[in-house]
Amino acid sequence: MEAPFDACVIGTGAGGGVALQELCEAGLSVVALDRGPELGPADFDEDELRVVIRDALFSPEQLETFRRHPGEPAAPGRYNQLAHAVGGAFTRWAGWAWRLREDEFRVLSTEGPVEGAHLADWPLSYRELEPFYERAERDFGVAGVAGANPFETPRRLPSGGAGYPLPPHPVRRGAEVFEQAARRLGRHPFPLPVAINPKPYGGRPRCTWGGACQGFGCPIHAKASTLSVCLPRARATGRLDLRPESRVVELVADASGRVRAARYLDREGREREVRARHFFLAANAIGSAHLLLLSRSARFPEGLANGSGQVGRNLMLHHGATVRVILDEPALGHTGFEAFRALDDFHPSDPKRGFIRGGVIAEVSAFTRQPLVYALHLAGDPRLDRGFGEELMRSLEEYPRALTLGSVLEDLPMEDNRVDLDPEVHDADGIPVPRITRRQHPNDIAMNRWFRERLLELGEACGGSRVFPLRVPGVTWIDEEHPVRGGAHLMGTCRMGTNPERSVVDAFGRAHQVPNLWIVDGSVFPTAAGYNPTLTILALAYRAVDHFLRAMRRLDA
Amino acid sequence: MNRPRLPSRRRFLLEVAGAGGALALGLVWPRPRAARAARASATPALLSPAEWRAAGAALERILPSDSGPGAREAGCLNFLDKSLLHEDAHLAPLVRSGLAGLDAVAAARRPGAVFAVLSPEEQDAVLAGLAGGELPGWPPEPPPRAFFDVLRLEALLGFLCDPRHGGNRDFAGWRRLGYPGPAHAAGGYTPEQMRGTAPIRPIWKRRPGREPAAPAPAGGASGHEG
Ligand SMILES: Cc1cc2nc3c(=O)[nH]c(=O)nc-3n(C[C@H](O)[C@H](O)[C@H](O)COP(=O)(O)OP(=O)(O)OC[C@H]3O[C@@H](n4cnc5c(N)ncnc54)[C@H](O)[C@@H]3O)c2cc1C
Ligand code: SF4
Repeated sequence: MEAPFDACVIGTGAGGGVALQELCEAGLSVVALDRGPELGPADFDEDELRVVIRDALFSPEQLETFRRHPGEPAAPGRYNQLAHAVGGAFTRWAGWAWRLREDEFRVLSTEGPVEGAHLADWPLSYRELEPFYERAERDFGVAGVAGANPFETPRRLPSGGAGYPLPPHPVRRGAEVFEQAARRLGRHPFPLPVAINPKPYGGRPRCTWGGACQGFGCPIHAKASTLSVCLPRARATGRLDLRPESRVVELVADASGRVRAARYLDREGREREVRARHFFLAANAIGSAHLLLLSRSARFPEGLANGSGQVGRNLMLHHGATVRVILDEPALGHTGFEAFRALDDFHPSDPKRGFIRGGVIAEVSAFTRQPLVYALHLAGDPRLDRGFGEELMRSLEEYPRALTLGSVLEDLPMEDNRVDLDPEVHDADGIPVPRITRRQHPNDIAMNRWFRERLLELGEACGGSRVFPLRVPGVTWIDEEHPVRGGAHLMGTCRMGTNPERSVVDAFGRAHQVPNLWIVDGSVFPTAAGYNPTLTILALAYRAVDHFLRAMRRLDA
Repeated sequence: MNRPRLPSRRRFLLEVAGAGGALALGLVWPRPRAARAARASATPALLSPAEWRAAGAALERILPSDSGPGAREAGCLNFLDKSLLHEDAHLAPLVRSGLAGLDAVAAARRPGAVFAVLSPEEQDAVLAGLAGGELPGWPPEPPPRAFFDVLRLEALLGFLCDPRHGGNRDFAGWRRLGYPGPAHAAGGYTPEQMRGTAPIRPIWKRRPGREPAAPAPAGGASGHEG
């Protein structure tokens, strides 16, 4: 039998990437399992129909079910934006790389309890995470300007440091228009921090601003990811055993309550087992909860590490209002990458607005970077009452002048918003698929509506001939009937906390009930914050591994 | 890496009926690619001659060619036929019964007529009825709006996809929109092109493999202040 590895990493996205890199570099033997194949730059073209619309490259077999209320039947479909491939969704991200604001770690104590929401404080503070944010920004190469956002938590600059390791990128025309409009309204736009190279860095080339960025893999590794940063580092140690197309179906616990092995299906569908001393789970907020719930045993009848009953609960996905502006000049949304300029003026919480919390606004190319994504998201255009013929053609012809203003908005955690095992629908391996149950808290709906109004004001200030909200229900427009059913920002489901009865992992990501299991992905977030999550996932993963290594060395000493 | 994947355990056992939301996303399962089939033949492979005729007429009213290239020039009909045979096969029953519905509505208006022989105005009225969800003479199945949505979805996919899938012939759709084509393989864009102060050469004016969208990046360019 194969000797046990020092550590087993399950899932190789953002959190798993940091874990395998740091563990290998610390001298441990590491086996990393990912359910998907290992793709690389040669696989990354810009075929929009195949890669984005049909999602046939990154997660061709994805299947989930969705319902709004417990007790309803759940409809099969593909809801979340995933990537079942080595590197995870981190390969196709847009690179937005934020530190959370200080108050975002203390939502319950800042706001007090809110009916219907399961608010919590994070069991750590901004200052405790800050050194790990710094490491993440350095390792992954974030480009930005420290202090340019007057609403960010002031950073302690490393001595002599400029705040970000890389300067900002040149800007595309649409972002310039947005920036000028925002200034005219007295707002404070700033270069959005991105983990994309504006010049060669970390042995990777500079970005060529080719347009098809978000949703795609980078063909030259100018975008930071597991594939471009973590794997080369881990492989250089000679201590990584990467096993693609290895789908973990159970974490096997022994009588003492420790994980002994990961049971997985290899690419031929054969069942195999790999043993390790320590397990780092990073299959994302859907996959990690799903795997824990599958891992039932006499000791953990409700699923591994689930004594609290919180595994799978408090699923958060963010939401966003979106507005379309038709300029009188080209917006050039098919150039560059996802976003260059943002503003945070509406981020600080203000209950006087009729809701708590907030989020960030940016000029985005999500719906203009390529023609199909533009054409399939025209809903809401008031001119398109019939939606075909000359009218449709006229809207299509506005493509070059179309500017999109988007937002990333905090959604409140709710205990009944959850992922569990679908009792009826099984996948090709015979495994129950993740079932998502999700409503939208009234606070989210009020926030979405309010931000839509602010975006319309900004849109008007951009000039141009037409401004209207994009009305894609459940995507750019939410209400009671149309919650966000799936997202790209998967958070919650294994929340961190100090109380083992109300949380799944501790402040370092270690499972309260399973001493050799760490969870290092977005599932540990207690609240969602109004920023994209990944830099925080990376920072938490650095912190988890750092803590683990210190403890291990203490034991060895 | 380009290892062939073993399909056996990786194929869904479950056919998911096209519910509204799923359709909007172009829900599909992995199947042999329609692309190959579309290239191989521009004649019907799935649709019957009657369905082919009705679909062609409807697509040309959804994306008309009155003031520029439309469904006809882009080859949307051929795309639809191959897409329904392959990637979007789960939509074929709905589309085929809808196409029969179009002819039934035409016959109800004028005995012996089929949709394709109606005047453009009459055809538009039928499509508007579908879009509005109500149409006299429409059969019980499929729901008119669902059929309209699928037909428009496939029309747009065929109009604007990468030409390798069989639609967007000679970049007809991209020309109509003003999308210059993928840029990464051609070297990306310069800061001047992003700001609109230097022209962008569209793919139909590039010489394959020789002329980049942007001049070759000056090696190791430094960061520009945005
Ligand atoms: C289009 C898009 C754009 C985005 N843009 C941004 C952005 O600009 N900024 C930002 O902060 N975030 C962005 N995100 C979100 C970002 O990608 C995620 O936050 C991040 O990838 C999450 O990391 P993770 O480690 O939690 O999981 P993932 O990256 O989802 O990785 C999970 C991995 O686990 C594997 N896995 C799952 N189940 C199993 C199993 N049973 N056995 C083995 N392996 C398994 C999967 O194959 C996958 O590789 C974007 C996401 C998408 C889809
Ligand atoms: S825009 Fe830049 S980072 Fe994005 S895919 Fe292109 S080269 Fe890579």
